Amino acid sequence: MAIHTPPPVLEVRNVSVRFGGVAALTDVSMAVWPGEVVALVGDNGAGKSTLVKTISGIQQPDAGEILVAGRAHAMKGPQDAAAAGIQTVYQDLALCDNLDTVQNLFLGREICLPWWKGRRMDRARMEKRAREVLSDLDVKIRDTRVPSSSLSGGQRQSVAICRSILANPQVVLLDEPTAALGVAQRKQVLALIERLKAQGRAVVIISHDIGDVQQIADRVVVLRLGRKVAEVTRGGYSRDELIAAMTGALDAAELAALRKELAHG
Amino acid sequence: MADLSSDPKALSGRTGFSRMNRHDLMTALATRWRMVPVLIALALIWTYFSWANPLFISPRNLSNLSLQIVVTAIVALGLMFVLVVGEIDLSVAASGAVSAAISAGLAVNAGVDIGIAILVGLGVGAGIGALQGVIVTWFRAPAFIVTLGMSLILQGILLDLLPEGTNLISLVGTPLGKVATLYLSPGMGIALLVAMTALYGFLSWQSWRANHQQALGGSLLREVLLPTAAIAIAGAAAVAVFNAYRGVPGLVAFLLVLLAAFSYVTTQTRFGLYLYAVGANAEAARRAGISVPLVRIAAFTLTGLFAALGGMIAAGRVLGVSPDSADTTLLLEAIAAAVIGGVSLFGGRGSVWAALIGALVIGSVSNGMLLINASTQTRLEVQGAILTLAVVLDALLSRRGGAR
Repeated sequence: MAIHTPPPVLEVRNVSVRFGGVAALTDVSMAVWPGEVVALVGDNGAGKSTLVKTISGIQQPDAGEILVAGRAHAMKGPQDAAAAGIQTVYQDLALCDNLDTVQNLFLGREICLPWWKGRRMDRARMEKRAREVLSDLDVKIRDTRVPSSSLSGGQRQSVAICRSILANPQVVLLDEPTAALGVAQRKQVLALIERLKAQGRAVVIISHDIGDVQQIADRVVVLRLGRKVAEVTRGGYSRDELIAAMTGALDAAELAALRKELAHG
Repeated sequence: MADLSSDPKALSGRTGFSRMNRHDLMTALATRWRMVPVLIALALIWTYFSWANPLFISPRNLSNLSLQIVVTAIVALGLMFVLVVGEIDLSVAASGAVSAAISAGLAVNAGVDIGIAILVGLGVGAGIGALQGVIVTWFRAPAFIVTLGMSLILQGILLDLLPEGTNLISLVGTPLGKVATLYLSPGMGIALLVAMTALYGFLSWQSWRANHQQALGGSLLREVLLPTAAIAIAGAAAVAVFNAYRGVPGLVAFLLVLLAAFSYVTTQTRFGLYLYAVGANAEAARRAGISVPLVRIAAFTLTGLFAALGGMIAAGRVLGVSPDSADTTLLLEAIAAAVIGGVSLFGGRGSVWAALIGALVIGSVSNGMLLINASTQTRLEVQGAILTLAVVLDALLSRRGGAR
């Protein structure tokens, strides 16, 4: 994975964000290629959320730019990011418990019949499309007509991810997708991320869980205090090194060694 | 876990009762079968009063009972909208009375055409609702207090609107004063039933056919024929009872058409879905691109509109508008009706039919208690107990159903 000839589908170039006097992000760059999973790790306050918000258009960078498929996009809001092919799935607050799977998948973009047919929602077409998306990603929902409150945590997270896939994005940002999930459900969601990758989408995942990161990520970007302190590829790091980089326990020399390893990796 | 594409049972959306675990059962009770316990309670109430006094099930009493619940049901229907988005409106009785006073004043004292006077009154009600919606969403003030304050203001305005001295606008002899005495002819009652049943049958057949065209399956018998037959049978029984007295009361027919229309709006249209989405998870709705403030304001506006409608009908039934028109009994009974019918106070759940069934429960209890000569204190105690039970059931189902 050292040399990529096509342009990255998502590139963050020298992005800085300040909140008043506080530098939330300083000169951060990263790139993601199609069919690649990049994990964003860091301690609390490292700037992960700010970076995701910048990529998804919620936060405007003070310096630097975001490129999608090689073209710079000035994103003024989440709609611009969505239009550029970037979808974000947040950890919580994604589903309405009282609505069923199909209603949740299509919320805000329902398919409606024309006015002379009473502006009814076209449930049949939405149901059909929903089942296609769910089966493409091998998400098992026994009954797409029961309210989401009766789904498991893993199923809910899967539905939230499928919801973002309906827009056919090139880049999917996942904020803590496995937090608060049990072992079996976590496996479910990780398998789903693998399938997104297999579909040729670029996936950026924020995670606190080093085990998940080791298992799923092709590359890991480590942020600390708003700066990118390391970038490592699969197999090119140990769990302890990663934690050390996140917490700042690794000194500069060791970091340089790690970076060198990365460059050759 | 069944494969989605091949298991017809999973496709039809039904699960055998025996296969359900406790959680599934609670969820079903909170959603699809929410009406079942309420209907059982209603059946018990009717059985008891018929046994205690056979006059209760006479066509004459049932016909009067239906007329008695129309106002409560219409105001409860309006309240359902604010309750579904997770708010409340305590001003419905007062805004209904003010709207009625304006309509009556225009028609009776100023000689304005009755149709225009009614439209102005409805507009005032909707405007009051919209104003409250704007205050609640813009200033993020709790609806409970905003609408309580508005209720007091409106009670003051009502006193200003009523003529000094008599404090009464009489509707005796006016078209508005006759609304409660209109009955459909037996033939018209049957025609209404046939039309409504046919419309329901057509709409459900359309959905079934669309499912078939998309190869989603679904049973014609269970999804179209049985529900349509059930509506036809229940409707035929009701029309037969009404026709055995004076025919279907005009106000009852109006209420049923209104409920059917808003049942369509809440279950089949995008706007209806957004009401439920906002009530369950406003943040998710916002992220899905729904304008949450607009949906909330629309809900308050509809509540105000139906409050005005209820206020006018109430004025027509008692032949006038007086300070008593803003009586809080109507407010409390309408909230009780909605909650008994299964509209959740926690937002996000409840159907328009809750207004009808809840109002029927409350109306049947007051009507039956009078027929068996129960004391006022017993009546209050029983009604209070029913409401408390209903709200406990709501809290229980909200928790177990997983919706906050």
